[in-house]
Amino acid sequence: MEPETPPPGNAEPISEAEALRRLRQSEDQSLQYYGAWWLGRMRSRHPDTVPLLCQALRQRQPRDAGAGVEHNAVARNAARALGKLADQRAVGDLLDALEDEDDGLREAAARALGDLGAAAAVIPLCRRLASGPSVAGAPQINSPKLQEPCEALIEALGDIGVATPAVLKVIEPFFEHDRPLIRSAANRAMLQLTGEPRWGDRLVTLLSHPQLQVRRAALMDLGAVGWRPALGAISATLAENSLKLIALRGLVEQGQGEPDTEAVLLAMDELL
Amino acid sequence: MTLPEGPSGPPPLQPLVAAVDGAHSAESLVQATQALALALATPPSEPTAVTPEMLDAIRTLVGVMGFNNPGAAVAAVDGLTACGPAAVEPLLEGLDNHNYGARAWAVRALAGIGDGRGLDLLEEALQGDIGPSVRRAAARGLGQLRLETLEPDSRAPVWNRCLVALERGSQDDEWVVRYAVVVGLESLGHSPHGPRPAPAALLDCLKRLAQPAQEATPVVRLRAQLALDRLGPP
Repeated sequence: MEPETPPPGNAEPISEAEALRRLRQSEDQSLQYYGAWWLGRMRSRHPDTVPLLCQALRQRQPRDAGAGVEHNAVARNAARALGKLADQRAVGDLLDALEDEDDGLREAAARALGDLGAAAAVIPLCRRLASGPSVAGAPQINSPKLQEPCEALIEALGDIGVATPAVLKVIEPFFEHDRPLIRSAANRAMLQLTGEPRWGDRLVTLLSHPQLQVRRAALMDLGAVGWRPALGAISATLAENSLKLIALRGLVEQGQGEPDTEAVLLAMDELL
Repeated sequence: MTLPEGPSGPPPLQPLVAAVDGAHSAESLVQATQALALALATPPSEPTAVTPEMLDAIRTLVGVMGFNNPGAAVAAVDGLTACGPAAVEPLLEGLDNHNYGARAWAVRALAGIGDGRGLDLLEEALQGDIGPSVRRAAARGLGQLRLETLEPDSRAPVWNRCLVALERGSQDDEWVVRYAVVVGLESLGHSPHGPRPAPAALLDCLKRLAQPAQEATPVVRLRAQLALDRLGPP
């Protein structure tokens, strides 16, 4: 689950024309950053939107400390916005961004390719993960990050939904990763790709993990997949009702079968 | 419900309050809060006035809702809801304007109790609170005020105030608040002391929320359609 990236500071309402103008200029990166965010958030359908976002994605920028904007921040926000806009013209530039040396940009590109369901991304995503938990999944020195943004890469494979044996074989070793969030992402992807109940059951087990952060991630994963057999366990999870409601919305909108839609809706009523 | 009458009646509250105050871990806070809530929810064998000990226990539960411990807060809401009207004043006095989580739990408790004294707060919360979880709880509560506890003359005006507040809430930016508005409208429509059948204004609002052209979120539309089905043909 990707947190919504808030705009820095200047959050006054603007028009679509103004958002496009901000993205088009290049003197002020913080204005570009906000413009890119706005166009994705508002699902802009303007004909200039996707070409401008692709251009912003191609334009890698050094960190500008004065503007309060981090390395490649505009390109990252452009990638996130392109994921929301679901326009296949963005796939080529996102694939290029997946090869960038900035892991934050690779992460944003992977998520966007997952949102777009881009089958062309399966091979490069697998290549990034193929070295397994001990290399791709090893921590960076002096950083909480891993060598590769494994959670985003694995989730993208699940969202794209190409369930070949080669893809499953790449994901499988990550069940042994030290970090519960990575294990949860691997579970989620396997459940999306195979639909086998055992992967859903393992996510349900994580709903009673002692760490709240792990329980939250499992809620979001079950919601993203729409795994309806988890209904009772989701309702009973010790976590904020807001997150349980988002997960149950996923069960209604993404899921099917038993329990039926009405049963999920009535469980949502109890959490309001 | 008939409860077996034990020889000693409900457990004394003071040690249970002390256990909540002294809890030193998230888990022990949940357990202590559950024990206190259960004791408060157990009615004495003979009805009694609210004792200072009970009031202290109620205030302790109100305080727990501000600790950012969802398990304990759920238990506190259950206990306060079971206390009914006796918990309303401590809840209104204990509201923390700076803690959205705590406000949401307090609004939930007031919504569950359904006491008319909570109406102003529920209206205000749905219209203006910055926290979506607070607006959501308020919307649900506006559908389940217990009109039978009000003077007969004031039931219709209160029912109408709830409808107006929910109609306004149906324009909320957050899907979860609009979802709660749907649930609130349905329970308002079923209210035994409200107008029967449900008036057109209430049904029209639900119909708007059931239409793809007017409501972008599928789960809200599905819930609105369920509400219309359950309220029956106009």
